Amino acid sequence: MTSTGPAAEAARRQFSEILARKGHAVDNVRDAVARLEQAFADGVLTRTSEIAGVLADLAVALEQDEGQKLGGKSAEAARFISRRLEQLIADA
Amino acid sequence: MSIFLGRGPRVSDQQKKRIPPGQYFTEKWPVLHYGSVPRVDLKTWDFKVWGEVDNPFEFGWAEFKEMPRKALHTDIHCVTRWSRLDMDFDGVAIQTILERAKLRPTARFVVVHAEQGYTANLPVEVLDDDDVILADMADGAPLTPDHGYPLRLVVPRRYFWKSAKWVRGLQFVPADRPGFWERYGYHNDADPWKEERFSE
Repeated sequence: MTSTGPAAEAARRQFSEILARKGHAVDNVRDAVARLEQAFADGVLTRTSEIAGVLADLAVALEQDEGQKLGGKSAEAARFISRRLEQLIADA
Repeated sequence: MSIFLGRGPRVSDQQKKRIPPGQYFTEKWPVLHYGSVPRVDLKTWDFKVWGEVDNPFEFGWAEFKEMPRKALHTDIHCVTRWSRLDMDFDGVAIQTILERAKLRPTARFVVVHAEQGYTANLPVEVLDDDDVILADMADGAPLTPDHGYPLRLVVPRRYFWKSAKWVRGLQFVPADRPGFWERYGYHNDADPWKEERFSE
């Protein structure tokens, strides 16, 4: 069932606002996901199984082993996956 | 006569015919992937073939190196718009794997599994093209870690994200299952000559 109310709407809006900020896509997505995790922890939004799967994909895309640079496709993956997350949390 | 395609070195008329629409020619081999380059230990590395097959099997690195070899001279095309011509890959023909696996009639698609949970999907008839190989060498040398060491799939007739690096298995399935990039907006079919880059 879709979460409703001002807190849920604020969490969704802030997620989108963080993604739209100027700056590096990877940093923005990391910040946006942190906001999303807070919303899940507060019970404001629901972590559906599909969202959990997308977050798992995102974690791999942004994984950065010690001493390595992030791969050149990480930013694009972050943008693509966060777009999907935005769609999913509209119903979360 | 040679032609300049906007970026990169000059290419001949003959080479130009081999470059799909919207692509530019490069002599480099750009490194593109997400996340980190996985660390691989050949002593524990394995490759699994399963799903809609009569003979699921696994092999290790030593067994892979004993399989019949195939050399492939081909062009590759990345969705990010670069094309590299006249590459030489060396490895094992995919037909060696398919014949051993004995695909069932229900095996219509394959999910290519790679390190870190990366997947790519293909119809079996595309995987079974005669220019598809599991490559451990490129241009006469073992793959470098950032190009897929120790093993990558090479599917030259599709954009190169279908040619999964760090490949670890093939799962044959009856119905198509979008892979990593296909789930997030890349085109399911990825034919560079049709410019099938994105699904939206």
